[in-house]
Amino acid sequence: MSAPVEPAAVEPAAGTGPHGSIQLIESACTSCMICARECPSWCITIDSHTEPIADLPAGTRERTQNVLDHFAIDWSLCMYCGICVDECPFDALEWVSEHTVAAASLVDLTHGRAELAPRSGSGPAPRPGLDAGRA
Amino acid sequence: MRWLDWYGDGALHVLDIGLACCALEFDAAARQAAALPADVAPDARVAVVISGTVTDRLAPTVVALVEACQTADLPRPTVVSFGACASSGGPYWDSYAVTKGVDQLVGVDVFVPGCPPPPEALQAVFDELVGRVRR
Amino acid sequence: MRVVPAEGWDGAAAEAYAEGWTAFDWLGAVDEIGRRDCLRIVLALRDPTRPGEPELLLSTDLPRSEPRVASLRERWAGAGWHEREAAELFGVEFVGGERRALLLGADFAGTPLRKDEVLAARTGAPWPGGKEPGESAASPSRRRMMPPGVPDPEVWGDRDAAAPDADADEIAASAVGGRVRRRPR
Repeated sequence: MSAPVEPAAVEPAAGTGPHGSIQLIESACTSCMICARECPSWCITIDSHTEPIADLPAGTRERTQNVLDHFAIDWSLCMYCGICVDECPFDALEWVSEHTVAAASLVDLTHGRAELAPRSGSGPAPRPGLDAGRA
Repeated sequence: MRWLDWYGDGALHVLDIGLACCALEFDAAARQAAALPADVAPDARVAVVISGTVTDRLAPTVVALVEACQTADLPRPTVVSFGACASSGGPYWDSYAVTKGVDQLVGVDVFVPGCPPPPEALQAVFDELVGRVRR
Repeated sequence: MRVVPAEGWDGAAAEAYAEGWTAFDWLGAVDEIGRRDCLRIVLALRDPTRPGEPELLLSTDLPRSEPRVASLRERWAGAGWHEREAAELFGVEFVGGERRALLLGADFAGTPLRKDEVLAARTGAPWPGGKEPGESAASPSRRRMMPPGVPDPEVWGDRDAAAPDADADEIAASAVGGRVRRRPR
């Protein structure tokens, strides 16, 4: 049997490059559906509804805006092509360097608004299904 | 297809079923692995990594390999679906020739997203499996 | 590009060979639907004594309904692989060629690279882009957005039962994606 090899040859997070995952800047998203339509993998799903814009100046005609209800990326389908990031006219999607973490089930690889929101800290994201119940 | 002693110390044995480009990332992650493992100890861990596109034509072979590991006199193998293609069909999800997720055919324990996933993502799964924490 | 009639395919290849185009490079098929009602076969040859020369292309048109042409594998054994691929993916018959399947299973039905071949997975899955901004479900009353590769349901799928089956041209032309057009009645 060969001598144990130092396993630190591959550093975690090193060389991951900037295309590790995609985050959603909700304040910039207008629910315009362009990313969902351009995605070749059909991995982005969006639900939204319209609401009247409040506090318009008196006498202004009533107008509506789209309100995002649901935004999800299915990472089991995503091919990390970045077309959604490039196509978004409002820069609501951004690459982040940390790679999407592995999961124990396909359902856990669909990330909704909470998982796609920009994270303040730089620590790794919780891994659905893998870190569950692990202190 | 290769059988590797991942850490070179017999703690983790890995069967790589390399089917497409994800197999290159497996290679990058496996560069410190010893190629010819000794016998599998009863307390060792075994992992089967399906890296790449599973076509309908090759699916029976993939299933047979996984089942051979499951029925052999080995510790229960952890089945890893490495990359979008193995997990869901990925960019080929609509293909006439591609299996839309290997989990339809064999039980999968960990899905690693990415197209392809970085080598570090696979290393992280294995480190977790044998309880070796990096950094 | 030398365009030759299908019945002269073998002869044109022999002529090119005699001129020094002795090395087989590749053979491919193109579904020309939308431009012409044919499958085009293209053969690329090289002259090994003139490596810098551009390759010679030979082409022939075959009717989509009965695409049949002579096999060239007696002259270039390597052409057999390319012919088998074209046979499976486009439904071309190469007379005198190898008939075994190369890529697909024996139980596979269809000619997947013809442009009127509809991808079942695309038509069966709801397209996330089918919704309009401000919607949470695709509204059936609107002029619907269709994804590329899925024909207009009025052409393929939900076609009026009384109407004749859509022809290949119509299916291929309608599967380009975008707003479903109102078709003239």
